[in-house]
Amino acid sequence: MAELITITVDDRPVHVPPRIPLIEALRHWAKVETPAFCYHPDLSVAGNCRICLVEVIGPRGAAFGIACHMQTAPGLAVRTQVSSERVRWARRGVMEALLVNHPLDCPICDKAGECTLQEHYMTQGRHESRLPDAAGKQYKGGPDHRFVDTKGQERGGKRIDLGPTIVLDQERCIVCTRCVRFMDEVAKDSQLAIAGRGDHAYITTFPGQPLDHPYDLCTTDICPVGALTGKHFRFQQRVWNLQRVESIDPSDALGANLYIEYTPERVWRLMPRRNPEVNKSWISNRTRLLYRELAINRLTAARLQGRDAPLAEGLAAARAALAAAARVALVASGHCTLEDNAALLALAERLGAKASVFSGSWLPLGRPDGIALSGDPVANRAGLRLLGLADNLDELVRRADEFDAVVILHHDLWAADPAKAARLARIPQRIVLAPWLESSVRQATIALGIRAWAEVRGTMVNCQQRIQVLQACPVLPDPELEPAWRVLAELGGLSWTSELEAFRFAAQRAPVLAGLSYRSIGPYGRLLPQPAAAGVA
Amino acid sequence: MTLYGFSQPTHWNGQELPRIISRLFDVPDGHRLEVARRHGAYATIGPALFDRAPYEIIHEVAESGLRGRGGAGFPTGVKWGFVPRAPGKPVYLVINADEGEPGTFKDRLCLTRDPHLLIEGMICTGYALGVRTAYIYVRGEMLPQICILNQALREAYDAGLLGERIAGSRYSLDIFVHRGAGAYICGEETGLINSLEGFKGQPRLKPPFPAVSGAFGAPTVVNNVETIMAVPYIVQHGAKAYRRWGTEKSPGSKLFSVSGDIARPGVYEVPLGMPFMEFFALAGGLVGELLGCIPGGSSAPVLTAEETRRATMDYESLSSLKSMLGSGAVTPFNTTRDPVLILQTLTRFYAHESCGQCTPCREGTGYVDRVLDALIDGHGGDGDVDLLKSLADQYEPMTTICAFGPGAAWPVQSFVSKFRPYFEAYIAKNPQRQRTRDLAGVRPGAFW
Repeated sequence: MAELITITVDDRPVHVPPRIPLIEALRHWAKVETPAFCYHPDLSVAGNCRICLVEVIGPRGAAFGIACHMQTAPGLAVRTQVSSERVRWARRGVMEALLVNHPLDCPICDKAGECTLQEHYMTQGRHESRLPDAAGKQYKGGPDHRFVDTKGQERGGKRIDLGPTIVLDQERCIVCTRCVRFMDEVAKDSQLAIAGRGDHAYITTFPGQPLDHPYDLCTTDICPVGALTGKHFRFQQRVWNLQRVESIDPSDALGANLYIEYTPERVWRLMPRRNPEVNKSWISNRTRLLYRELAINRLTAARLQGRDAPLAEGLAAARAALAAAARVALVASGHCTLEDNAALLALAERLGAKASVFSGSWLPLGRPDGIALSGDPVANRAGLRLLGLADNLDELVRRADEFDAVVILHHDLWAADPAKAARLARIPQRIVLAPWLESSVRQATIALGIRAWAEVRGTMVNCQQRIQVLQACPVLPDPELEPAWRVLAELGGLSWTSELEAFRFAAQRAPVLAGLSYRSIGPYGRLLPQPAAAGVA
Repeated sequence: MTLYGFSQPTHWNGQELPRIISRLFDVPDGHRLEVARRHGAYATIGPALFDRAPYEIIHEVAESGLRGRGGAGFPTGVKWGFVPRAPGKPVYLVINADEGEPGTFKDRLCLTRDPHLLIEGMICTGYALGVRTAYIYVRGEMLPQICILNQALREAYDAGLLGERIAGSRYSLDIFVHRGAGAYICGEETGLINSLEGFKGQPRLKPPFPAVSGAFGAPTVVNNVETIMAVPYIVQHGAKAYRRWGTEKSPGSKLFSVSGDIARPGVYEVPLGMPFMEFFALAGGLVGELLGCIPGGSSAPVLTAEETRRATMDYESLSSLKSMLGSGAVTPFNTTRDPVLILQTLTRFYAHESCGQCTPCREGTGYVDRVLDALIDGHGGDGDVDLLKSLADQYEPMTTICAFGPGAAWPVQSFVSKFRPYFEAYIAKNPQRQRTRDLAGVRPGAFW
């Protein structure tokens, strides 16, 4: 890191890095809570909301400046709301201006509880309206959507369907242009724009054009008010009822960081979790909607020859089948955590010489989109390499006749490549561990239900060689379900009680993991040393 | 096409009136190259300019004390000095002909009567700053002026005064006319640059300032039409000659467009420092009894009759009265006028023209306008006058990106404080004027 410089905040010296936005310095270094609507760390600076105003003390006295546009430099001296009555006064004025034309119906607004405007009103705002009734409000909205409500007040645009994923409430917009900048700068597809001028300005799409970008739901996250709402979550759940855990995208090798937000009954949504090194503040719509699969089509118990059975019965049958088999193939999975795959390796070790471990995937590779997807659908591919597993699924197909039993860990093999997978049917005992009723389950002689990605604690290594932690969300389709590592450990007769033991086992196979813990990996993950190019088999 | 004419005597009160910018204004067909040349146009384009080093020209203009005539009155030489010496990028000169300040119509007359003086000034300025390409951003409504300007440019190109190797020198300059779409905010220099580049006309965050990174990311100098038209005179006759007129801090002459309750409204070129009352006499005298005067375009805080009588037309006198010279649009009004309705016209204008970026100005200008409308419609209540003032205060102290906010607040603040009884009279007519709450006095209680 560059050397720190000293700036003066409210008459006290603060050491900050040079040339960072003052607002970041205030928030993270000076620990002064600084509000912002238009500023976003992963977008360009627009400087239009003016709520982050501070007083800059210069040679000609104090003048207002906005903290988001100013950069830290040696000798910079500012006063914030902590020490300056003028700053407090100016911010109250900005809040008053923002609210004068904004509907004051928070109780029926979907954003209530996580609305930036609501939050800053409580900290920076006025607490009474000065608007004379006769003056009235100028609600925002395009001419196509304006209407007169039952009280005779002219209103702006409500419930405007912008496209497949988003509904717009123009009235609630505070013209911060975050969504416009997101579409311009991140999505690189300018589908949103501000039309009009002054207090008639409103947010809109171009005539006849929908808002339909694969990342457009990110605009609902960055919208500081309830103007842009996602159809999947709109009016589904009050946000103050939600709890959340940190996890990552299990469907892509970048492992975009996210939060799983849930109530005890179900998972309600996935929200991006900012990680400047991985996905910034963005996740794709596809990733965001993955939560919907958590409650449907699940394998919640065991299946023996197509017949539903309790898990304990399935487990006993599998143990017997493995004991009876002379040669066992085990298929590791890049869709599961390091811990799960370590347990598979531990099982192989227990089975001794009769076991062979395979891994890999037949899923086609895509292209990185430069935002939050790497294009590789196998999330933990790098993790498998780290455990010393080669991409040799095709070899298993060639040698299928050698084996009496195969253990397949969460692979949708028959869907990925039916022709190759058909040869696996020659193996008489096919034991499949899967969270969903996927194609492998239908082809299995013994299928055992396991927990899905959102329900387990564990680690994955992304395509940057960054190890990241998934935390378990305590919402299960069936309370009996166990994580894959525990099922595999039981099959191997291991008495592992926590995923930490599985992680320690993984560290034996992959020495770079030695000494790491979930805590030391941290919320942003931890970059592992890049593997030597020749070392990868 | 009806235009305020130009008819001013050569002398007034025994003093010669300057004709630096308006030299050809009363010459028939002065906008044609041959006529203009007969009257001495393009005299500087030749050894007088090209035998001098560019920095000498900048120095001469800085010495002359010429200040920007668009409204802010920033010293032109200083502005030119901000352009980096070796930028590694082209330097652009942009002429701001987006004359939108209500009451101002001097640039329109300049473009109509003497476009060649502007072109000549642009060649001088371009040479001084190393400009290869220059733009003239003209207000969209000024269609006849654009036609005249294009004709003048064609004539200048045909005569070898523009394009490659001007008048046999090694200096080349191309000038393009860009037509705006009639937004007031495009007269703000960064808003103008945005509009010129094809974006929405919204001012940019500063820094970087245009002199470092303006049009197309290159150093850009934006100057008003009238400012540039004064440059040939300074180049030809020197800073000293220019300083013959005006005061120490406001040297030279300025065009004033006077309208309102005046006998002969129009454009006049007078030396800076002339008393307002003398100027009104020059323009045929006031009509009726003076009530107040907007001294420098609609943004300039209004002066009462008493203040007008002691004010002189220069930057320092007006700033001592907490007003400004602005664009030189003088609007006196007499006792038959209602200052409340005058302010309503202005607030409506600013609410309509706010670009919609910064919150205080975007929402505040409309808020003030609606409160004032309600007051005029007979719905005013006690405390509304203070409310108006207090709302305008919020966007006055540069809490916004550009100076539109302050410019929109000044008329409100000054009308309300200087003509308060007129506002109170409207409220007094409302039988339900009593408010249950003291709106202006509302202060937030601590939340915790």
